[in-house]
Amino acid sequence: MKRAAILWRVASVLVAGSFIAAWQLVADLRLVSPVFLPGPDRAWAALVRGFSSGDLAGKLIGTLEHMAYGWFAASIAGIGLGALIGSSKMMRAYVAPSLEFLRPLPVSAIIPVAIAMLGLTQGMALFVIAFGAIWPIMLATIHGFAAVEPRLYEVARSLQMSRAAIIAKIALPSALPDILAGMRLSLTVALILSVVCEILAGLDGLGHWVLLSARAFRSADLFAGVILLGATGYLTSIAVSLVEQRLLAWQAAAR
Amino acid sequence: MSVVARLIEARAARRQKPLIAFNAATLRLGGKTIIENLDLQVRPGEFLCIVGASGCGKTTALRLAAGLYRPTSGAVTFEGEPITEPRREVAIVFQDYGKALLPWRTAAGNISLALEASRVPARERGARIEALLRKVGLPGHADKYPTEMSGGMQQRLQIARCLAQEPTTLLMDEPFGALDAMTRQGLQDEVLSLTQASETTVIFVTHDLDEAIYLGDRVIGLLPHPGRIGIELDVDLPRPRDQLATREHPEFLRLRRQLFDFIKATEH
Repeated sequence: MKRAAILWRVASVLVAGSFIAAWQLVADLRLVSPVFLPGPDRAWAALVRGFSSGDLAGKLIGTLEHMAYGWFAASIAGIGLGALIGSSKMMRAYVAPSLEFLRPLPVSAIIPVAIAMLGLTQGMALFVIAFGAIWPIMLATIHGFAAVEPRLYEVARSLQMSRAAIIAKIALPSALPDILAGMRLSLTVALILSVVCEILAGLDGLGHWVLLSARAFRSADLFAGVILLGATGYLTSIAVSLVEQRLLAWQAAAR
Repeated sequence: MSVVARLIEARAARRQKPLIAFNAATLRLGGKTIIENLDLQVRPGEFLCIVGASGCGKTTALRLAAGLYRPTSGAVTFEGEPITEPRREVAIVFQDYGKALLPWRTAAGNISLALEASRVPARERGARIEALLRKVGLPGHADKYPTEMSGGMQQRLQIARCLAQEPTTLLMDEPFGALDAMTRQGLQDEVLSLTQASETTVIFVTHDLDEAIYLGDRVIGLLPHPGRIGIELDVDLPRPRDQLATREHPEFLRLRRQLFDFIKATEH
C-alpha cells in the first residue's frame, strides 16, 4: 500500500520530468523559433535573473496581494451572505432566482462596467476579483447551511442554545466542509481574475509582467512569469488543502 | 405533627401532583389530526412507557411533552405550567443517535455541548465529562468521534449528553429501536439503574411490548388515527427488574398477553 503510493509519486515526477525534457528538445531542435519559445534552461535563467534583479519578486507580491485581498473579501462576503440566505427557507425562495441569473454571468463581462465606474484602480481590481470569487463560496455556503441535519437544531433547542451559539456550534461547523471546498475553488478564480485585471488595467503584478514581456518579444521572461503563475496557483491550492485537512480531521476519522 | 412527618407528607403531596399532564391535548398537522383529546398524567419519578402501532402518534405525544410541538387545542403542562418551549430539566433521547450527535466533535465534545449550554465553567467541564462517560459505560472513549463508535456506544453517548443537562425528566423516543438484542438488554438495565437511583421521571416510547413492560411502572397503549389512549396497564412487577426473572414472572406474561391482544386488535 505504502510502496504503491511511493511508486505513483515517482511516476508522476517522471511524467513531469519528461514534459520538461520534451520541451527542451523542441526548443533545442528549433522546431519553434526561439523568439517565441525559449527552452526550460532559458526560462529558468530568466526566472533567476528576474528575482535577483528584483522586479519579478515585486510583481509576484503584487499578484499575490490582488489575489489575497479579493479572495478574503469574497470569503467574508460569501460566507456571510451564504449563511444569511442558506439558514432561511424564505430567503432561499426569494433570492435564489436572482442568484441563478447572476451566477453564470461571465465576470469578464462586468470588467468594462467596473472600469467605467471605478476607473483603472486597485479598487476596480478588488471589486472584479471579489465579484468573481464570491460565487463558489456563497453557493457552497448556502448549500452547507441548508443541509444542516434538522435533528441537530432540535438538539440545540432542547439545550436552549442561543441563536449565536447555534450558528457558531451547529450550523457553521456543519457547513464547513462545503465552505472550504468553495473557498478552494474560488482561489483559482481569484488568481485568473488578478491576472486579467493586471493585464487590462496595467496594475503592478505578474499579469502586467507577462504582457510587457510578450510585447517586447522577451519570450524567456514571458515564460518565467507563466511558470511563476502556475506555481502560485499550485502552492496556494495546496496550502488551502492543508488547512482543510486540519480543520476537517473528524471526516478522516469517519473513513 | 413532627417536622419529619410534615416533610414526608409534603413530599407525598408533591408526588401525587402530576409532573407532566396532557389535558385534552389535540394536535393537528397539515390538516391531519395526529392526536385527539389526549388525557394523561405522569407522576414525578414514574417510568411511563407508551406503545402502539406505527402512526399512532406516540412520538408526537413525546414531542408535545418536550415542547417541540405545541398542542392545537387543550394543554400540555409541566409542573402545572403550559409547555411552550423545550426546557433544560427535560432531556430528549432521540432514536437516530447518528443524526443527534455532532460528527465533528469527539465524545467529550458532544457532552461538552450540553455543559456549554448550561454555562458550566470550562475548568469544571473536564471532570464532569469524565464522570458522565464513566456513568454510561464509556470510560476511555473521550477522544473518539461518534463515527468511530458502535451504535450502542453512540446511544450511550447521547444519553450521557442528556444526563449532562441534569434533567428531572427524560423523554426517550424508541432509543434502542436500532440496536441488536444483546446491546438493547444491556442498555435497558443501565437506563433503569441510572433513572431509578436519581428518581428521574421517564417517558419511554417503544414499539417493543416486552421492553415496555420490563421497564415501566405503567404502560399506555395508543390507538391510531387519531392517536388516543386505548389501554392503560399498571405494571406491578418487583424492582429491581431482572432480564430473566422478570420476563418469566406470571404477571409479566399476563400483561404481555393483554398488550399483544390490544395491539393485534388495533391493527385491523
